[in-house]
Amino acid sequence: MVAIVTSGLSKRYGHSGPPIHPPWIHPAPEVRALEDLSIEVRDGEIFGFLGPNGAGKSTTIRLLLGFLHPSAGAASVLNLDIVRQSVEIRRRTGYLPGGIALYDTMSGEDLLDYLGDLTGRPSTRRSVLCDRLEMPAATLRRLVRDYSRGMRQKIGIIQALQHDPELAILDEPTEGLDPLMQRAFYEILDDLRAAGRTIFFSSHVLSEVERVCDRVAIVRRGRLVALEDVEALLARRKRNVEMRIEGTPPAIDGVPGVSGVKIEPDGRITCHLEGDVGPFLAAIRDVRVTDLTIEPAHLEEAFLELYHDEIDDEPEPSVPPPTEAPA
Amino acid sequence: MNRVLFRQTWRALRVKILIVFVALTAWGTLLPIVYGAFGQTFRDIIESGLIPAQLTQFGGGDIFTLSGSIALGAIHPISLILNSVFAVGFATAAVAGERQRGTLEVMLARPISRRTTYLTLLVATLTFVAAGVLATMLGAIIGSAIAGVLDELAVDRLPLLWLNGFLLFGALAAIGLAASVSFDRLTPALGITAGIVVVMYFLEVLGTFWPDAQFLQPYSLFHYYQPKEVLEGTAPAINFLLPAAVAVVAIAWSLFEFPRRDLAAPA
Repeated sequence: MVAIVTSGLSKRYGHSGPPIHPPWIHPAPEVRALEDLSIEVRDGEIFGFLGPNGAGKSTTIRLLLGFLHPSAGAASVLNLDIVRQSVEIRRRTGYLPGGIALYDTMSGEDLLDYLGDLTGRPSTRRSVLCDRLEMPAATLRRLVRDYSRGMRQKIGIIQALQHDPELAILDEPTEGLDPLMQRAFYEILDDLRAAGRTIFFSSHVLSEVERVCDRVAIVRRGRLVALEDVEALLARRKRNVEMRIEGTPPAIDGVPGVSGVKIEPDGRITCHLEGDVGPFLAAIRDVRVTDLTIEPAHLEEAFLELYHDEIDDEPEPSVPPPTEAPA
Repeated sequence: MNRVLFRQTWRALRVKILIVFVALTAWGTLLPIVYGAFGQTFRDIIESGLIPAQLTQFGGGDIFTLSGSIALGAIHPISLILNSVFAVGFATAAVAGERQRGTLEVMLARPISRRTTYLTLLVATLTFVAAGVLATMLGAIIGSAIAGVLDELAVDRLPLLWLNGFLLFGALAAIGLAASVSFDRLTPALGITAGIVVVMYFLEVLGTFWPDAQFLQPYSLFHYYQPKEVLEGTAPAINFLLPAAVAVVAIAWSLFEFPRRDLAAPA
């Protein structure tokens, strides 16, 4: 079962303009916000959707929820067509917009009641969410305009999840939350995962995505550049190894998965390690190692690698193909 | 129509509605009292020829008859401003204002179609407008009673007078909502709607004071709001049909445009 399927989904803003137009009219150039996006989000998984600002993350989310109309391609959410059945999609979905704006003149409680009533489903999860996010009744009775940024974000999370949606689409959900509340939020995600709910999770915080997501898609300039299991993605990453030895340095240059070996005169050895750690450990078995550090691979490095040419500000970088073809 | 949204819209604006209602009632009360106190005096001055008759008319209203004074109160800028609080102010902010603040996104993430959202906001706006026009009628009755001229008031024609006012401000509200669903920001929606209202009002008033500009009056919606004619039973059907037609066109545009347009992320 799949919760979200997109097939060649594209969105272009503006237009190239009519072929003939008065000289004083300068048609807006066409902006390709999303190009040929094909992904599948499986039922019950937490799916991370990554990319820098302007990569097409919000455009994708807004297409899925019917705020935007696709220029090409198709998509379904919970087996419902995003163009023809968007109302039903929103009935079964919870959505937390990035930088959520709330009605300032309402109390938190009234706002949650109002949004719950608009959804038309009982707010079965609200009390649990309020407990987890430390939003007691006294706080909920205060006006939203008196809330801090973190409290607003908590209200945003509660309104998105209070009706226990089958699919939650969360755009930067931990923005403004302190570390304790971030942890509480991760526990909420664990609960949702255990309950079989699907989470579509957009974030800039790569460590967070790495921690909570089963799979990630990375978009760049409106195109999908990677779609993979987080574990598989990290397993392919090179880990940094640093060790101190006494005696003759081992011959690890030719060991499978080992690269970039540097041996210092003081007995410090650094290298990169990719894949299975077994051959490396076997190669240093007879060496007297006084210290050994193998840094785990992080999603951030994979992300930066995919974006390095953009960061270096090259004008037209080539777009690598997705690392996994969508089914 | 979505009852939850409708209820919340009324709830959010209840204080403002009450203030405008009271203000319009008070304003509606004032003109019949002025007529009762000074109507005969003014009539004597005009009949003496001291003031040109053209200057005694304002938008079809005068101060020498009860129906004229009610008409004067209805077309006066104070009445226009108070009625525009909802017909223009709320209508233009209903979608574009929420969109600019980012709150529309939270609402449209619920299972409500854009057409339902629009129709709910339209009905809410029309009820605000209806209440405002009703307050003016109420004021006219109270003022006539206070001035002791209630017997001069054609009470049986008050519903038609209410309808005439409702259609005018309802048409303006429909234009405001059409602008509101067409823009992402409040400023252009409000600017266009307020511009239309001011220009139409100017055309009507200009034609009132300057006979050579009377040909411009039919292009103004205010020209079809003639409380004195309605109260005297001489108002033509077009005074009701034309504002209604304008409202229908604006509503049709909104129902076409709002569902089909893209709602990109708020800036």
